[in-house]
Amino acid sequence: MTFSRDSYRVTIVGAGIVGLFTAYHLARAGAGPVLVVDKGFLSSGASGRNGGGVRQQWETRSTVRLARESVRAYRRFGIEFGFNIWFRQTGYLFLAESPAELERLRSVHTLVASEGLSSRVLDASGVASLVEGIAPGAALGGTYLATDGTLYPFPVIWGAYEAARSLGVEVALGVEALGVGTDDGRVRGLVTSDGSVATPTVVNAAGGWSGDFSRRCGLDVPNVATRHEILATEATKPFLDPMVVRVSDGLYFSQTMRGEIVGGLALPHRPGTSAGLGSSPEFLTTMARALVGLLPRLGSMGVIRAWSGYYDDTPDGFPVIGEDPRLRGFVHANGFGGHGFMLAPAASRRVALAALGQPTDLDPSQFSPARFREPTARTAVERLQLG
Amino acid sequence: MTTENSWPSPEWDLFGAIGLLRPGGVDTLHGLRRPAFATRLFQGMVRRLAGTGAPPTEVGSRALSAPPVERTADVTVLGAGAAGRAVVDALVARGLRPVVLERALRTPPVPGAELFSATTAVFLPPPADAGERPFTILAFREPAQGFRIGTRAVVLATGRYDASLLFAGNDRPGVVSADAAIALSQAPRSPPFRRAVVVGGDRRVAEVLAACGGSVDAVVAPGEIRPEVVRAANDLGVLLYPRSLLLRANGRHRVRSVRIRARGGGAEATVSCDAVVLAHRRIPHAQLFFQAGAKMEWRPGPGAYAPVVRADGRTSVPGLFAAGAVAGVPPSDYARHAEALGDSLLRGTDRSEPPPAAAVAEAPTELLGYYRELLRIPGHGRWTACPCVDVLVSEVERAHRSGYRGIEVVKRVTGLGTGICQGRYCLPDALLLLSILEDRPPPQVGYITQRPPVVPTPLAALAALPTPSPAEVVP
Repeated sequence: MTFSRDSYRVTIVGAGIVGLFTAYHLARAGAGPVLVVDKGFLSSGASGRNGGGVRQQWETRSTVRLARESVRAYRRFGIEFGFNIWFRQTGYLFLAESPAELERLRSVHTLVASEGLSSRVLDASGVASLVEGIAPGAALGGTYLATDGTLYPFPVIWGAYEAARSLGVEVALGVEALGVGTDDGRVRGLVTSDGSVATPTVVNAAGGWSGDFSRRCGLDVPNVATRHEILATEATKPFLDPMVVRVSDGLYFSQTMRGEIVGGLALPHRPGTSAGLGSSPEFLTTMARALVGLLPRLGSMGVIRAWSGYYDDTPDGFPVIGEDPRLRGFVHANGFGGHGFMLAPAASRRVALAALGQPTDLDPSQFSPARFREPTARTAVERLQLG
Repeated sequence: MTTENSWPSPEWDLFGAIGLLRPGGVDTLHGLRRPAFATRLFQGMVRRLAGTGAPPTEVGSRALSAPPVERTADVTVLGAGAAGRAVVDALVARGLRPVVLERALRTPPVPGAELFSATTAVFLPPPADAGERPFTILAFREPAQGFRIGTRAVVLATGRYDASLLFAGNDRPGVVSADAAIALSQAPRSPPFRRAVVVGGDRRVAEVLAACGGSVDAVVAPGEIRPEVVRAANDLGVLLYPRSLLLRANGRHRVRSVRIRARGGGAEATVSCDAVVLAHRRIPHAQLFFQAGAKMEWRPGPGAYAPVVRADGRTSVPGLFAAGAVAGVPPSDYARHAEALGDSLLRGTDRSEPPPAAAVAEAPTELLGYYRELLRIPGHGRWTACPCVDVLVSEVERAHRSGYRGIEVVKRVTGLGTGICQGRYCLPDALLLLSILEDRPPPQVGYITQRPPVVPTPLAALAALPTPSPAEVVP
């Protein structure tokens, strides 16, 4: 038996950013014993595989608000958690190639600006002034929000991990959650590869594997894991400040504090977690063509590493946060669609409340697990699932 | 000079003061995070220091564009060294005309094969489930010509490389690998060193002495020195220091001497020299096997992973073969092994499980014990564990003290192995270091996923390769 106790107030499946932040908030609230299990090593999932982008430009007000709250949390992170996460507010630039795309971005701008964020709509020359050397005619225009930014994902995980542990949270790595023990329609325990523990609350924060875990617990969920590939180049003298995102193909890239260009783009892959986390020649060539086509000066830069991670996608683009109506004590904290880092600091506060059975300010028609049961319950769709 | 990472000029580098003030390095993970205005100042400074050279230019990038090369082949052989050539001979004798890729800039012709020199295979994904040519190889020819090869079978004869060693000043100019020393000694110009210290005690040292013995002053060995090396050294008048710790390379701009100490707490000595040649340990070039999904095994001799290879060169991946040193075949056996490989390859996809190849007899490495002794030396924390990203041994030890375990996590905490060599240089030592810190055998420390590409590959080379069919691209 790996665990120090027989029973926990809350058990969390997944030691990624959502699971660790949730554990941290639970411990701060004095919730009682908290256990986090993860079948991999720390940062082995999407939390250690993402491009580090943090933006507040979204198509729905609720997402803009969660993202804005998360940006505030990242600004304080160094003081609160003791780690330098290299959070750099150098902006997010969305590129439009057609009038229709620009119109779509304009409505994003209107919404974002109405939330008090200083978003700007740019024409082609405005774009060129932010991305030195962009190919002529590559973009018709775009939107830019200077307070969006990038961070280095790993120290966020180390900070949350060490803070949660110092508050008494137990984190068991290399331990796979196999299912839940139930009785009378509610959770009584968590079954793991290292034995079972008693618990009234299981939080499914397993990212790309959350759909697998829910289904293993007998809960039919619409989450789909999709593989997204990403690459990094060798470091060069910094010349690019904002994160650049193209609406048409989901191309995104930024330059890290070390000087590497890091980015990806959307390609169709077999859905599900069975295909594994490799890279593909199609991605390398398509991505290289997209980068060099947009910014020809990148041609001489060498790719040093390519990898992939899972997006945990939902049909309407919103995460799933809250107790499952079919199984009491089973709390969802998943479906972040590749944007866990952008929303987790704010979202995990709500997850912690939900895990303790307390009400949250989240709109059930957008976030609750129940919304998939009755399609008419859904009121909005978040389609800006890029970068 | 605007391209150097020094300010305001290479002669007056004010940022160099950081190195003087903080010889143990700056802790960027925990340090410099408060208050907010200081963080911004610091980030601006780091931004100024980051990267190397000048930002890329469009002119420079356009100069790299070259029409890509597309080929299909029955067999593709990667590596045109002695083992690769033996395999090509065997395949040609069986009526095949393989495609051969070789990294070296100048390679003698390979009769019967289509040879591309100065060409490095960078990506060999696991084979497709179906199709006539299940393997795809991405490669590039210097400086930036893209290659895509579809092939039925692949033979990897990628050889081995000389590993690094931890000691103070191991990143000084003048510290070179045996590969580099031998190659430089064959170049038609004045030798790059005249009084080298060679590190190691087995056959590799004999090879260095044979190639550039006249420019070697001494041999320092972590363990015993083999009799054949002793004989060669005596003939050349080279001094021998068996069972010695290499503590430090002295010299500011270039190695001027090394400080050594007899193992087990003996006396220290200084040996003057103008180069340190590392010939103590050779590691298989195994990245492409990892990429292709071949079953790997830990070899305690070199302290590294190598593919599991059958007696006829087959790996666990049907259609993927290994030849030469990377398969553990000694040079005297290359021709015989190539014949067996050729027969097996022609038989086609045989999925039966034959008995595994005989275990390769390799001298057990004493490096673990050597490092255990070395790491008790005060000040070892300032040694460079990963020169690409400038990670010190103390940073690895600090990560260990903070509770992080396993190479995958320590890599992410410290940045070790994430630079341009992707861990080829630092990983062999890092595994031993973690094995000592975590008190478990090196294979239990884990391994980092070997991600493509094997070497930095220009975006221009990849971008020139043909577009995948439109159906594959998301609108």
